[in-house]
Amino acid sequence: MLVQMAKIQIIGTRNVLDRTVRALHHAGVVQIEEKLPTVQPLVLDAGAARQREEITLLLARLDALLTLLPKRPQPKNISALYEGEAARPANDVMVDSKNALGQLDAPAQDLVRRHDQLEADQVTLPRYAKTMRQLMPLAAELAPLKNYETVALLVEKKFSAVIEMLRQQLPALTNDQFELVARDIETDTTAAILVFPREHSAAIHSMLGRESITQVRLPDELTNVPFKEALATIQNRLATIPKELEQSHRELDALADQWRTRLAVWSAVLHDHLQALEVQGRFGATQYTFVVVGWMPRAQLPALRDALAQVSDEIVLEESRLSEHEREHAPIVLSNPRPARPFEFLVRLMALPRYGTIDPTPIMAVFLPIFFGMILGDVGYGIVVLLGAWYLMRQSKPGGLRSVSTVIIYCAVWSILFGFLYGEFFGELGEHLFHMHPYFPRGKSEWVVTLFAFSLALGVVQISLGFALGIYQAIKLRQRHELLDRVAKVIALIGIFAMVGNLAYALPPGFMTLSIALLLVGVVLLMYTLGWMGLILAPIEILGVVGNILSYLRLAAIGLSSVYLAMVANKLTERFEDALILGIIVGALFHALNIALGILSPTIQSLRLHYVEFFTKFYEGGGEGYAPFKREGIR
Amino acid sequence: MDVAVRTGLLAIAAALAITGSALATGLAQGRIGSAGAGTIAEKPELVGSVIVLLAIPETMVILGFAVAAMLILNIR
Repeated sequence: MLVQMAKIQIIGTRNVLDRTVRALHHAGVVQIEEKLPTVQPLVLDAGAARQREEITLLLARLDALLTLLPKRPQPKNISALYEGEAARPANDVMVDSKNALGQLDAPAQDLVRRHDQLEADQVTLPRYAKTMRQLMPLAAELAPLKNYETVALLVEKKFSAVIEMLRQQLPALTNDQFELVARDIETDTTAAILVFPREHSAAIHSMLGRESITQVRLPDELTNVPFKEALATIQNRLATIPKELEQSHRELDALADQWRTRLAVWSAVLHDHLQALEVQGRFGATQYTFVVVGWMPRAQLPALRDALAQVSDEIVLEESRLSEHEREHAPIVLSNPRPARPFEFLVRLMALPRYGTIDPTPIMAVFLPIFFGMILGDVGYGIVVLLGAWYLMRQSKPGGLRSVSTVIIYCAVWSILFGFLYGEFFGELGEHLFHMHPYFPRGKSEWVVTLFAFSLALGVVQISLGFALGIYQAIKLRQRHELLDRVAKVIALIGIFAMVGNLAYALPPGFMTLSIALLLVGVVLLMYTLGWMGLILAPIEILGVVGNILSYLRLAAIGLSSVYLAMVANKLTERFEDALILGIIVGALFHALNIALGILSPTIQSLRLHYVEFFTKFYEGGGEGYAPFKREGIR
Repeated sequence: MDVAVRTGLLAIAAALAITGSALATGLAQGRIGSAGAGTIAEKPELVGSVIVLLAIPETMVILGFAVAAMLILNIR
């Protein structure tokens, strides 16, 4: 159901502006309209504008600090803490958070930087150590010399000619003052160490760069240290890193324990204050008064009126009369009985219904699980899906995922019920193992036609319901064109059904003329509704409706494919007579695949039947969401 | 007509019914799928409409399946 909305105007004197904003913020029910065309927009005074700038800056710093600190479970009294801070003046909260930031910002950043460096060292130092260990045998051949630089090179063996080339070029560059030793250290790597006087450093490095020879680079603090010493330093460092990491973890945790909750509460409260300042940009104002225009659920009007009366008697709240244009743009709030609520997101997935039209959520809540159950229809699969969805529901927070899992639970229950009807438990396994008695063995060829007929019957029921809703809505909204269109299609459809009944000898032969007449009346009425294009479009549209009903055959077809897959799984298991365990594993894998397909496919097909076949008979999308001005609370 | 020939023709007809409709559905879904992926990348809120559009051509293969099933059921 769509909640009835009211468009309201709040007018007050400017001396009660702040208190009014606070009351509206606490009530959290008014969606404030953008700028008003008839009055000047309200401009924040200098003090408030400055406060807005300061809060924006503070929030950026607070939120950055919060991302540095490790997450902590929210304490139970978090709401009380939030309310306590929210009740304090904004300036006090700002001063407190500024002081905390001054005290915490630098140490927290240092700590995080140190922590990151330690983690990086833990990954990179072992790589240096490995390379250096490979180079050690070469380094041992060279005596440490003062004022000499050592460069280590690792070259892929297929490029080892490079080392010979170096040996030829170096005498000219260094006046023959160099030492180059090279050795194969792995099957595909050659290592080389080059020692030369520091004065030739620039020339040699530029040559190495020119020839694209990769040097082994060590951390800065180890570049001028002899190899042996450097390796020992790295090993010592690696030994101490875990302890240091643990220490930095402890310090960060201590900081988070002490501050995180407080910072999060301040951030939430300051976000609220900022929102309250920014929303005033949408108010209108004169020299002494302000005006707010917005939308709210009509049922909440008395409560808001009381809340504003408590603020001051200088505030007037009045409901405006809606023009046709305004009515079309009223924000949409869906309100459905608790069991149907999880299905609301499926309607939103399509589009919100336009204000004043029908909300299809409750109907979807009835039909969708039945369709799903009819397609999957297997006690075993149903139980697996039910348990999975139940687990998901318990693990998820209220919102998207919980809605999805609740919908799947309904669907799984119907799958189990249809499973008993079809006598299926992991395909025909139930029949073999527990002698399950199928009342409607849909997989057997003599029942296929019945299954098709049952699917089509469901289609006729839902499409007729769609047309009935469409006709009701068209009458209610006085949409003459839509009314004629739907009535014409219903008449033509009755004509077609009567013709089919005649051809199947279910109706007396005299009815044939009547049915043809009905079909013609429907087609002509539709042609009249559609204008001159109707000459071509009307027959196509009526065929489309027949196609819509035939589309419900998918309820049978997709279900049969699932039955056959289950049958294949069981047959495969039987083939492995000699290796039963292997057979069971193969069978289980097949069934798992079938369950995965069995969740996805029936969901999409049932959704499609609703969106394409059912909704098109009455649904009018294009509704706009409702975003009231309210406190966001702690996140 | 000879029963064997009749059975064979019915089986071929059923195979043709499902082959043609499956190919047509695949072709349509391939195009809609690639366009839909592009749409979702730019406007993730349209995911509902894309799923619906993607499922629309499936009617063809389902009707093909229904026809094929009817033909197979006629084989005695």
